[in-house]
Amino acid sequence: MGSECVAERESALKGHYKTGRFGETGEPGVKLTEVPVSVLHQIAAWPDTVEAVGAMAAQAVGGETASGPGSVVVGPKGAQLRIEPLKWWLYGVEAPDVAPEEGATLDLSHARTQIRATGPQARECLNRLIPLDLREESFPVDSAAATAMHHVGITLWRSREGYELFLPRGFAVSLWEVLFDTATQFGLEVE
Amino acid sequence: MAARRLRQGGRIDRGKPLGFTWNGRAMTGYQGDTLASALLANNERVVGRSFKYHRPRGVTSAGVEECGALVTVGAGARRDPNVRATSQELYEGLAAGGQNAWPSVRFDAGGINNLFSRFLVAGFYYKTFMGMPPFEWGRGTGWWMRYEKLIRKAAGMGTASREPDPDHYEHAHEYCDVLVVGSGPAGLAAARTAAEAGLDVILAEQDGEPGGSYLAWGDDDERVTAIQAVQSLGVRIMTRTTAFGLYDYSVAGLHERVTDHLSAPSPHLPRHRLWTLRARHTIVAAGALERHLAFGDNDRPGVMNASAAGVYLNRYGILPGANIVVATNNDSAYATAASLARAGAAVTLLDARTGVPGAVTGVATEHGVGIRFGCAPMQARGAKGVRALRTAIARDGAWQPGPTELCDLVLVSAGWSPVVNLLSHRGVKPVWDAGNDCFLPADTTEPVSVAGSAAGVWGHEHCVVSGQAAGARAARALGKCSPRFTPPPAGGWQEPLRPLYEIRMPGRKLKSFVDIQHDVTTEDVRLAHREGFVSVEHLKRYTTLGMATDQGKMGNIIGLALMAEARGVDIPDVGTTTFRPPYTPVSLGALRGRSVGTHFKPLRRTPMHEWNLQHGAVMTEAGLWRRPWYFPRRGESLSQAYVREATTVRSAVGLCDVTSLGKIAVQGPDAAEFLNRVYSNAFAKLPVGKARYGIMLRDDGIVMDDGTTWRLSEADFLMTTTTAHAAQTMAWLEELLQTRWPDLKVHVTSVSEQWGGVAVAGPRSRDVLQECVADPSKVDNDALPFMGVVETTLKEDVLCRIARISFSGERAYEVYFPADYATGVMDRLWESAESMGGCLYGLEALGTLRVEKGHVTHAELDGRMTIDDAGLGKMASTKKAYIGKVLKRRPELTREDRPRLVGILPKNRDEKFNAGAVICAENAISGHGEGWVTAVTHSPELGHWIGIGYVNGGYEHWEGGGLVAADPVRKGNTAIEVVSPQMVDPDGERMRG
Repeated sequence: MGSECVAERESALKGHYKTGRFGETGEPGVKLTEVPVSVLHQIAAWPDTVEAVGAMAAQAVGGETASGPGSVVVGPKGAQLRIEPLKWWLYGVEAPDVAPEEGATLDLSHARTQIRATGPQARECLNRLIPLDLREESFPVDSAAATAMHHVGITLWRSREGYELFLPRGFAVSLWEVLFDTATQFGLEVE
Repeated sequence: MAARRLRQGGRIDRGKPLGFTWNGRAMTGYQGDTLASALLANNERVVGRSFKYHRPRGVTSAGVEECGALVTVGAGARRDPNVRATSQELYEGLAAGGQNAWPSVRFDAGGINNLFSRFLVAGFYYKTFMGMPPFEWGRGTGWWMRYEKLIRKAAGMGTASREPDPDHYEHAHEYCDVLVVGSGPAGLAAARTAAEAGLDVILAEQDGEPGGSYLAWGDDDERVTAIQAVQSLGVRIMTRTTAFGLYDYSVAGLHERVTDHLSAPSPHLPRHRLWTLRARHTIVAAGALERHLAFGDNDRPGVMNASAAGVYLNRYGILPGANIVVATNNDSAYATAASLARAGAAVTLLDARTGVPGAVTGVATEHGVGIRFGCAPMQARGAKGVRALRTAIARDGAWQPGPTELCDLVLVSAGWSPVVNLLSHRGVKPVWDAGNDCFLPADTTEPVSVAGSAAGVWGHEHCVVSGQAAGARAARALGKCSPRFTPPPAGGWQEPLRPLYEIRMPGRKLKSFVDIQHDVTTEDVRLAHREGFVSVEHLKRYTTLGMATDQGKMGNIIGLALMAEARGVDIPDVGTTTFRPPYTPVSLGALRGRSVGTHFKPLRRTPMHEWNLQHGAVMTEAGLWRRPWYFPRRGESLSQAYVREATTVRSAVGLCDVTSLGKIAVQGPDAAEFLNRVYSNAFAKLPVGKARYGIMLRDDGIVMDDGTTWRLSEADFLMTTTTAHAAQTMAWLEELLQTRWPDLKVHVTSVSEQWGGVAVAGPRSRDVLQECVADPSKVDNDALPFMGVVETTLKEDVLCRIARISFSGERAYEVYFPADYATGVMDRLWESAESMGGCLYGLEALGTLRVEKGHVTHAELDGRMTIDDAGLGKMASTKKAYIGKVLKRRPELTREDRPRLVGILPKNRDEKFNAGAVICAENAISGHGEGWVTAVTHSPELGHWIGIGYVNGGYEHWEGGGLVAADPVRKGNTAIEVVSPQMVDPDGERMRG
């Protein structure tokens, strides 16, 4: 829906997000970037249509089916995040048409603010706020999880680029402030 | 002359002197010092005053068990009381001072308490001041209440700053395979063995430097090699980090002191960090603590643990005394005595045992230590510093007075207590080992191993093997291959120790302290026994033995031993109190982390948050949200503003941010059936393109929440909830789907964040919408009648959903649009509304409009009311089943005289009354009365104050009048009339028109 609009989208962080170098000097340990979400759809299956809907999700992004909860498959068109046993997020692609007997789709393009955390101390920084095991073997690239950050439920995806945080839009500023304050101790660059 | 810094030796850096102040006096120490070692080096003997008797106290240890040198560090907002000087690393500019003393710890007026100390025994204040004769004669607490404040003031510790804490703190989370607590010989060996097996290991060390006992006793090359070995294996070493508690599922609480050792810490660093560490296995290698001994005036400055003197000598390059008496009952003090003698002190060693082999005494005698067997300390002399020690000699199984030794330092070693605290946190009771005279960790099925002297293993080499065995055991438990080591048994002295807890002699009154920090003496323990407090738990609470910052680290076992003696039983039969977290104090700041100030809880912003502020909104809290309260024009008060806003809505049009309402997508072929079961009114046949107001009940028949639900397509609904109960409703729907009706093909997903929402209300609302949507015919009265829903686009091609629903009672719409477009949508709507004489309105006007209409909110649906109480009972279906239907028919919930929703008018229309007032019959103003007022407002439509609330039996029952709104603490009584809650446009013609 969003892409053909004439109106301009406005980030939840507008007025709060400033690029630059903050905190400790030296090589920045953490880089934070807001990634504008273009399209984000949820596609959900019923217990007896998981395979069919999984295949649709795979086709939408042009890749394999995300095998289980917490797994992510990135295809040429976008990414599918298996965020719940019966639910996928389709990131970067429009949702396919799904009949109610098969499942349901839902536009969440405006519901989340995406922050990417990279840098040598990104994991350390995130673990100041997120109670998840983010060690390499436990949370490798293309893992996703529903987790919590400063009292708020968020979705975390480890992409090839870094850690992608999907913050509920209304909490984005508050969480951004806490994340920013936490990151300054590592030397922070906001891009 | 007593303590002095040596020219060489120790781990301090003499090239880096550090200036600090003690009670305002400038002093110098070195990099590597603790505050305690620096004070000793400056020969500062009296550094504290005791809790109750204000007795002078000096440094008693070199570690976290310190019970004498409790000081206040820092000033102003950073004043930190009760800091153990032995754990405080010295830094340039540190400012510390004594506490619980006036004018100073050296000359303390409160010391007068000591003169009366024979009266100030355990329980003195309670016994004296509660039921004080002749005033209260054994009953009442009036005197206690009157004097408690003064009594509390006389006893005590340091005082905290009352200013806001300027530092910040944070939480952190980490995972590993094995957590090793303690980096001494056992801990390093355990970490290395576990890491060699391929495990991810974290080594937590409370000290600023890893090494544990290596730092004072071991071979430093060995220490460095061991540390390098674990580091090269990828072991993560956390220093200044105390594992203060062990919890369920192998969760450890760690307290890291990040900047307490720095004179100018980076402002970006938190002061402390609270770690939640999830390890698969925990190895406790936390060492053992040396015990002291109860003898006369054993709390005098200059009485110290024997091992501590070794630490001050070997780690800090300080000779803590010139004439030293060492009193021991075990082998461990011999090495200390020898090294002190070698460093130049005159040392006499009293061994309570009758004799030990030359293998034990050898090194000591070589260095000229005079050894006397069958001797023990009886009483220390010298108030502000030990000048002499009266000794006791064992004769015929009793102690008799011996000669007096002139000395400036008395060192005591009465055995060692393994640090079993962490295991105790897991509910594993330690077991008494009579041979080693200590509690040892018991076997456990918990994923916890204990190694080194924490397991009662004394010798250095044995500790290393013990650590290796624990590391290997952890590795095997986690499915790794690891060589087998035979863990050495507890013990390791060449000669058994002689259990010794107290030196006392018939006919001699000695003030012998068991718990030095809390001023608990041996007599207090015996008094507790005489008065029947014989259980350890009672003993602790009656005497305060084992409380405060050291939590009985030094004195508990003596207390148990004395109680065992008094009861004529063995120590294990007395039992031991359960250690609870934290092992050492944890700052409150660390517990709070970043949840302080504006981040005490996260602030939730609507997509129009900034827009509202830019348009003059005064905000108010609504749960985590901020919502516009009112939009004052120049010079307007709140009441002027809301009356204007409400008037404008009724006469023209107003816009109100309603984004905070909960929004839930209910999707699936069974969605209609699901809603029909959840709501008390019918939803199964709601047509596509229609909205319906629904009320859901709890299982017990009480109203849970209300809101409108819109049918967007056959299988797609949008449910709205109240702001306050959005999350609760979402969780409730999920619970129902997952536990009661898993067969229903329905998904619920919160879309609260996806959509911004604005109410457009007032007679001109349709005109505003027709100006703003791309196709005005989509919102005309035929296309969008009352309770209609339409999906269309605004002029900028922004898709929107519009439902014609009304909270204000006027013709009104709720317009939802994707959140990122909020600013543009609001600009367009406002441009149009403003040109029609419209306004922006906030929660206050919203309240006015809904009170006039008698529409309910959670002020009325407060978790006690039924649907009938709220006047909405006719909506509930009689044909279908729904949640709450059965229990809402309970007799108590269907009584005719239950409170019913009413409108409230002041009898004299010029009068005002308050929300929260109790509604009473005018001749019976008492108790709970007949009802209460939930909300009031000044009604612009009616021109006077009105309210809604509940009255027993409803307004019909009170048609004859006779009610008052009683408000005794604010306003007094106001005569009222109760009427139908629909006070404006009762037939609803406006919203349908």
